[in-house]
Amino acid sequence: MALFLAYDVANNPLNTNEWAFPVCEVLHILGFAVGIGTITMVDLRLLGIGLKKESAADLWKGTFAWTLAGLALALITGPLIFSSDPNMYLRNASFRFKLTALALAIIYNYTIHRWVALKQASGALAVLTGVISLVLWASVIFGGIFIAFV
Amino acid sequence: MPPEFIQALQNMSLATAIRESALVFPVILSLHLTGMGLFGGMILMTDLRLLGIALTKHPVSDIVNGLRPWKHLGLTLTAGCGILLLWSKAAIYYPNPYLHIKLALFVLIIIHAIVFRGVYRNVTDLDRSAVIPGRAKLAAALSLVLWLSVLTAGRWIGYWEPKGAPVNAAQVN
Repeated sequence: MALFLAYDVANNPLNTNEWAFPVCEVLHILGFAVGIGTITMVDLRLLGIGLKKESAADLWKGTFAWTLAGLALALITGPLIFSSDPNMYLRNASFRFKLTALALAIIYNYTIHRWVALKQASGALAVLTGVISLVLWASVIFGGIFIAFV
Repeated sequence: MPPEFIQALQNMSLATAIRESALVFPVILSLHLTGMGLFGGMILMTDLRLLGIALTKHPVSDIVNGLRPWKHLGLTLTAGCGILLLWSKAAIYYPNPYLHIKLALFVLIIIHAIVFRGVYRNVTDLDRSAVIPGRAKLAAALSLVLWLSVLTAGRWIGYWEPKGAPVNAAQVN
């Protein structure tokens, strides 16, 4: 796959400015730490192992804006990092895995995960919902790191 | 040049196994980042609650005490994996100035924990006060600045090259 044949990466500021790329990476990590960290708070409640004094619905509502802000930061810096060498990323199996997991994780978070948290389900449904969420987001992180190693 | 004991540390069999494995090094690095997702999110929400910015409908003690074990789990995972990564390439990382900055920041974080231990230990006191005291807000703000600095210094480790003899880019991640 090489969809960006006419695009010369050498002119991208990310490749000409010494600071641009690592700054994007720091913001990308900060963004996912906030986004995934706050999603994890809801997951721990669904699993019944953390923040038991709060309800899952209250945690969902309380963390909503922060989750969105964190994911937005990661989703702005991610494409910037991608633009530094798009053809390399498109050919990278780990990148494709990451993007698939990311799409699933985001859709899952704002559909099933949201529904189960707001409904304050308990028992097997809540546990399963939390576990799937944690697995999906961990897959995104592992897929991201492995881009540099495949 | 790193001292002999640093080189010897890197030459130990477990360190060599981590460094040379195509799978183990990136798995530990991924766990280092997964730990950050857990720890980073938890520390941020703890500090934002203390600052009165996030989760204000919930009592301070519920959030700070509820997040504490998970914050500690995330920190243990991140730090444990970080130590393994550092050990596996001890001689390569040794001269890196950003590693020195990162380690200095950890000293500041320990000092912060000692100076502000009262804030985090007596968090139920904050539930009773109408406004969050300035000292607690200062502790939270400094915590955010320190941890963001650690993240930045950590990422910069991967971009430094010794003068004269550039290291293989693939060696340092």
